[in-house]
Amino acid sequence: MRVLLVDDEQELVATLAERLEMRGIDAAWASDCATALELVHKERFDIALLDVKLPSMNGLELKRLIEADCPWMKFIFVTGHGSEEDFQACSAESGRDFYLIKPVQIEVLVQKLNEVFAGTGEQP
Amino acid sequence: MSTERGTTSELGIDFFGRMTASISHEIKNTLAIVNENAGLLGDLALLMDKGRPLSSERLTTLAGNIRRQVQRADDIIRRLNRFAHSAHEPAASVDLGEVLTFTAALAERLATMKGIGLTVAAGEPVTVEVRPFVLENLLWLCLEQLFAAAGSGATVTLAAEAEGGAALVRLRCSAGTEVAAAAAGVEGAGQPLLAELQARLGVAPAGGELLLHLPVRRTG
Repeated sequence: MRVLLVDDEQELVATLAERLEMRGIDAAWASDCATALELVHKERFDIALLDVKLPSMNGLELKRLIEADCPWMKFIFVTGHGSEEDFQACSAESGRDFYLIKPVQIEVLVQKLNEVFAGTGEQP
Repeated sequence: MSTERGTTSELGIDFFGRMTASISHEIKNTLAIVNENAGLLGDLALLMDKGRPLSSERLTTLAGNIRRQVQRADDIIRRLNRFAHSAHEPAASVDLGEVLTFTAALAERLATMKGIGLTVAAGEPVTVEVRPFVLENLLWLCLEQLFAAAGSGATVTLAAEAEGGAALVRLRCSAGTEVAAAAAGVEGAGQPLLAELQARLGVAPAGGELLLHLPVRRTG
């Protein structure tokens, strides 16, 4: 499984990537949308973990751009807000089970990644 | 005026809600980073138990990361505290430059999300008599409108100066910013704030600057 982590908090994604690597998950990270798009054009990923609020465009917009080039990719959204507005937007876009709230517990994230990769992540 | 004050209060509640939502997001981010660093420490300790060496340098780096995020959270909470108190402060003499710096700090996250560089230029001390919260609200509205008009990659610089017996805030924008559209947006949404502050909006004749004229002392 190859995962791309995108969050404007560089220290957060870099640390998270290292922790996922320790658990056998191949992870790369980007702290801005341009770098994320560059990465998906150069390398193959299975899943992208996207922050909902990103500079220049939001996570949903980034998802649409990635999806246009990499239709096989699956997505999990992460946000610090946990607001009803975010929840509705992400639920409509990707299913409520693909939506996590910061701070994310690593075991929960790994389980979700495995489910999504295996195609067993529940959707309403 | 009571109607205007009522509307000022409604605008204030909206402003307060949006600010606290934004600040809570910033705090969440710092907590998430602390969470990951603490988790990584735990992971490394487990690996050390299994025989993988762990350098003191790595531990020092992780401890420093956590300390830096705690400091960042402390700064954010101080800002939140000052902001919360400003909501019930009565009219008082305040340094305009200080209010600009504080409001710019409040707007920093929005600027970052919009890809806009926001700075405050050093200037001469100018004192105005205002309810600080109302001025913060009006400045926020000006910035929000300018950010929408400017777009990603632009810069906005705030500066305060004396203007005869009054005060002037200059909100200088990158070339190409539709400053007149931003001014119209502020006039439309912020009329009660302008009225309470007895302030007047304008656009610099050469363009590129939104001008906020404030009386040094309110009348009436």
